[in-house]
Amino acid sequence: MTAPITRFILFRATPAVALAVLVGPAGAHKDPVTPQLLNSYQQVFMEQVRKGDLLFHGDAATEQAMDVVLSKTGMACAMCHPMTADTHPATFPKYQAQMAKFATLRDMINWCIEKPNQGEKIADDSEAMKALEAYIYWSQSGSVLNPGKF
Amino acid sequence: MSELERDRREIAAVLQQPGVHPDPSLRITRRTFVHRSCVVGAATVAETFAWWPLLNTLDIAYAAEAPFKFAWISDTHLYPKSLNTRFVEKTVRAAKEVQAMSPPADFLIFGGDLAQLGKVEELELGVEILKEINIRKVYIPGEHDWYLDMGKKWGELFGQPHWTFDHKGVRFVGLDTVSRGPDYWTARKMSPEERMGHMATLDGTVAGAWAGVGRDQLDWLQKTLANWDRNRPVVIFSHNPLYEYYPPWNFWVRDWREVNEVLKPYTKVTNIHGHTHQVLYNEIGTMRSIGMLATSWPWPYAPEGVPKLTKPMIRVDPGDHFDGVGWAKIDVSAQDKVEAEYIMWRKQVFAQSPDDYAKSIPEVLRPRIADNIWPY
Ligand SMILES: [Fe+2]
Ligand SMILES: [Fe+2]
Repeated sequence: MTAPITRFILFRATPAVALAVLVGPAGAHKDPVTPQLLNSYQQVFMEQVRKGDLLFHGDAATEQAMDVVLSKTGMACAMCHPMTADTHPATFPKYQAQMAKFATLRDMINWCIEKPNQGEKIADDSEAMKALEAYIYWSQSGSVLNPGKF
Repeated sequence: MSELERDRREIAAVLQQPGVHPDPSLRITRRTFVHRSCVVGAATVAETFAWWPLLNTLDIAYAAEAPFKFAWISDTHLYPKSLNTRFVEKTVRAAKEVQAMSPPADFLIFGGDLAQLGKVEELELGVEILKEINIRKVYIPGEHDWYLDMGKKWGELFGQPHWTFDHKGVRFVGLDTVSRGPDYWTARKMSPEERMGHMATLDGTVAGAWAGVGRDQLDWLQKTLANWDRNRPVVIFSHNPLYEYYPPWNFWVRDWREVNEVLKPYTKVTNIHGHTHQVLYNEIGTMRSIGMLATSWPWPYAPEGVPKLTKPMIRVDPGDHFDGVGWAKIDVSAQDKVEAEYIMWRKQVFAQSPDDYAKSIPEVLRPRIADNIWPY
């Protein structure tokens, strides 16, 4: 019970960098971020957004490269959801009437792939799913989080 | 302030001045739309503004010498049959229903986007399906019909993309709002297919502000209307709406200011348009504007700019491909009354509560980026 208090005192008395050495197991803490590092994280993200954007807009080359068949009707996600309109990612998870179950955004993405698009369902943890999710969240990043909202 | 916001304020300042409305003798009838039948009630203009204005029933004074009706179909977006049979089924259904109208419609206006990617095969499939309809047919182009071969096949099939005729006391005008897009393809050395691909992406960022009437066509319109009594009705068909709703999706014409200048002297102008694939109603100066349903699929309402006078359509069930789509019947009665009736293939057209309206959940959207990154 006394350890947290000790740490608290150390925190009050010690510069933050030294604290990183004093508390917690070695290696559990990040190096201080640099602008270059942040930039590289952002680039990783934006590359996913770019791929997701292409998948969302039915780009055949990207689908082929990622080995997915998101549609067999010529329909692409963006045909009903230009600029991701009406995807409402910020309302998930929620009860989704079409599936009659409590659903995540990933469930909904797969429902759209299988039903209106008549394509092939993708794995929840697949690269294509992550890219689609990245694009949808990026595009809607100004929308307000409102989980459960119909 | 964003450019969009500036434009929007401008349109309000210029065109929505207090006291300026379409023909004040307008009476709007309240209807609940049910497939093939409707319940009729009456409301005065004042009541209507207090309530939701209604889309379907419009009076045009001095309109009809004899009652008549015409039908509208648009935005069938046909792919080759082998790829997509759903769009074909729905076009066939609309054609059959128009042909079955009794008494028959005087003519059919096809409001553009017959094809999805402008292919000969797609346009010819459309012609084939519309053969079911034996009445007079007139056509205006949509962007999906045009940008593979720059309107060559469309012109061979349907002739001039703009035209006018008088019918029972109404001057009808068809406008081409799609063919004057800025050249985004030559400098980028695009193939016709690539050019079409960008044009066929509603939220694309490459084709830009392609919707417009153009100076030459405006001059033609002015000449066409010059000998027409300013108090007699004019009905203008266009693929895009003739006002500014949401430029990023070309839910507008970029030269709406000039269009308004030409139409200003005429007191009874009704614009009927496609492209937006949704229930829309707006009044701009003395012009009223009615958006028609697609047969193919519904577009969502844009994240901003939905006209306040629009009673929104109900949220669509994406599991039912006959939902949120359909065609329209327009009546001109002996009492000089013009009615537009949405024939939507489900029970309810309009939102019944705020939760039925998709935009009851606000969203802030970013335009796409992947089409603007090299090598695009
Ligand atoms: Fe369309
Ligand atoms: Fe269109």
